[in-house]
Amino acid sequence: MHRLYVLPTLLINLAIIAIPAALTVFLAFFRWDGISAPVFVGLENFSRLWGDRVFWTALTNNIIWTAIFLTVPMAMGLLAATMMLVARRGSKFFQVIYFLPVIIATAITARVWQIMIYSPVTGVVGLLQRTGLDFGNPLAETSSALYGIAVVDLWHWWGFLCVIFYAALRQVPAEQIEAARVEGATFFQTIRYVLLPGIRPTITLMMIMTVIWSFLVFDFVYILTQGGPAFSSEVLSTYAYRSAFYDLAVGKAAAISVVISLFGLAATIFYIRIQAREFEQ
Amino acid sequence: MIKWRLLASTAFLAAVTQNALAQERVTWWYEQATPEQQALIDQNIVQPFEAGSQYDLVIDFRGSELDKQLRVAMLSGSGPDIVYTPGPSYVAPMAQSGQLLALDKYSAEYGWDDRILPVFLEMGRYDGKLYALPKTYETLGLYYNKSLFAEHGWREPTSLDELEALADMMIESGITPFAAGNADWRGANEWFVSLALNAVAGPDNMQKALTGEIAWTSEPFRLAVDRLNSWWQKGYFGRNYFSVQSGEQASDLMTSGQAGMMPSGTWAFHNVSVYSNKNSAEVGFVGFPSAEGAPVFPLGVGSTFSIAASSKNTDGAAAVINYVFSPAVYGSLNSAWQGEWNIPLRDLSEVTMADNVMPLFTQAMNQLATSVNEGNYGYTTWTFLPPATNSYLINGIEEVWLNRVSTEDYLAQLDQTFQQELEEGKVPAVPQR
Repeated sequence: MHRLYVLPTLLINLAIIAIPAALTVFLAFFRWDGISAPVFVGLENFSRLWGDRVFWTALTNNIIWTAIFLTVPMAMGLLAATMMLVARRGSKFFQVIYFLPVIIATAITARVWQIMIYSPVTGVVGLLQRTGLDFGNPLAETSSALYGIAVVDLWHWWGFLCVIFYAALRQVPAEQIEAARVEGATFFQTIRYVLLPGIRPTITLMMIMTVIWSFLVFDFVYILTQGGPAFSSEVLSTYAYRSAFYDLAVGKAAAISVVISLFGLAATIFYIRIQAREFEQ
Repeated sequence: MIKWRLLASTAFLAAVTQNALAQERVTWWYEQATPEQQALIDQNIVQPFEAGSQYDLVIDFRGSELDKQLRVAMLSGSGPDIVYTPGPSYVAPMAQSGQLLALDKYSAEYGWDDRILPVFLEMGRYDGKLYALPKTYETLGLYYNKSLFAEHGWREPTSLDELEALADMMIESGITPFAAGNADWRGANEWFVSLALNAVAGPDNMQKALTGEIAWTSEPFRLAVDRLNSWWQKGYFGRNYFSVQSGEQASDLMTSGQAGMMPSGTWAFHNVSVYSNKNSAEVGFVGFPSAEGAPVFPLGVGSTFSIAASSKNTDGAAAVINYVFSPAVYGSLNSAWQGEWNIPLRDLSEVTMADNVMPLFTQAMNQLATSVNEGNYGYTTWTFLPPATNSYLINGIEEVWLNRVSTEDYLAQLDQTFQQELEEGKVPAVPQR
């Protein structure tokens, strides 16, 4: 009887996740423009992706993006959360300040950075240029476009990690922290040997979610550069979107989506294994 | 008993009326429009149409993703009666899969052959049948800051060599030659590719390539892309191309004198008019010069009208489309909303425009109508290229400009994509020259 409780969520998952996912995998083996009848082409969509340099640029950009988000916001979040834990005074105020960018809609954040900061016509960059500084729009250069977008997403994202880590750190028993202090541990030794081991499950979860989210990144890239200039900031999801809705190559877009899913799947399997191991322990 | 009879009669009448109303309703999904633009459509199309008609026209404003919504709706057979596509490249696959109704019967009934410029009727044909009518047509040309030209003693260019000499002089004077950007609309890239292909390779070669007679890797196209690339490398587009917005900011740059010229389309007249007033500058518009000298007007179609094969009120939908193709709608909508409702009427003599319309706009559109009628026109890439080819043309040109691929490699991939789409029957109809 108690198994019936899962039925509603199971049905919802089936309707909005399982069936569309199965259809996407199915369509990856077809050539389809989204209008006329699909034509079965076997592995052609995947073999074409293999020889497609834009696909490899996008995949590389996703990997760079993942590397950035596994390190920079994690480090910033951990550092700020630890400092709030140590110096409790004003921690509520800083929590709000750090968390504020997270609640601003993505499109608004992106437009603010694009128009008010990066733009050489209407933004801070333009102001710097007019004062004689040789400062360009990072979104306009192939070498910096991806990093320019990453900065915006970092600004938007790291506060979320900070608040999550702070909540986890507060669960670390105060006696352990006190004992470390009594034993003469430095600030960094306390972090290394007491706090980080104490919140390891939270860090692992956040890292795995970061891998999954990094392969799904779309909004900031699409709004700020649409993958340009010259495909330099293209990521797999923007490439899939353009393939489906501009090139009318739905099969190719489905094949790209399958590749994205594989990375998410790998991260999920990894997480489930870790969880199972911890459960056994 | 009388009460029951009355009640039954009322219910019967209500049901009949409801049924009649449902039968007379015509639905039309429109793209994104501001509240002011929606009011203009209501005042100039819906109200006057309904006043003299048995049909009830319902326009649903669906936002900027109309094409995607339409594709899904058409697949499931639940779309509107009037199918409003973003351009001819959408018509061929829809017609191919039987989602559109052939309009030949209505064309004969309403005399569209006599009223609409023939080239546009050709563009709406698939397998010999008429499936679509273009809502608006447009062209690309060269806007220039007349006041700035007078100040420096410059003349409007009449050949590509003159254009380049003028641009070089502008750079020496610290003025950006072309006000241009793609920060808001990456598709703006193709305005310049279209201009270069038409001006250097020429419309005849483009027509041959579009019909598969010659490859896009041919020498004329290589020369065209090389020439466009040389403009980029010389800095004609300025250092902020990827940061400037293609619409208002570009118009502002040109009218404020920071840039001398603006290669753009007839849709920009509205912005140019606003910013020329703001910056107190006089603006001119000429055809973009070709390598031979005489300007070429690349022809573009913004949106198209069709009728859904699944529509239950095809007569009503045809009546609405027919009403849109009238001098009254042309005059009233173009007076208030220039560039968006340049309906391809053959005869504009009955059109009355408001007094406040920029004379430059009226002149340009008359010049374009005459050129098209005489068969003197070029091809815009967004109208005549199939979707994947056009998408690569837009994004790939940035790779050429930024030295990531050569002209030859760019054209080779363009041609490969085009040949595949040609084989799949996705290339829009190309009118005979």
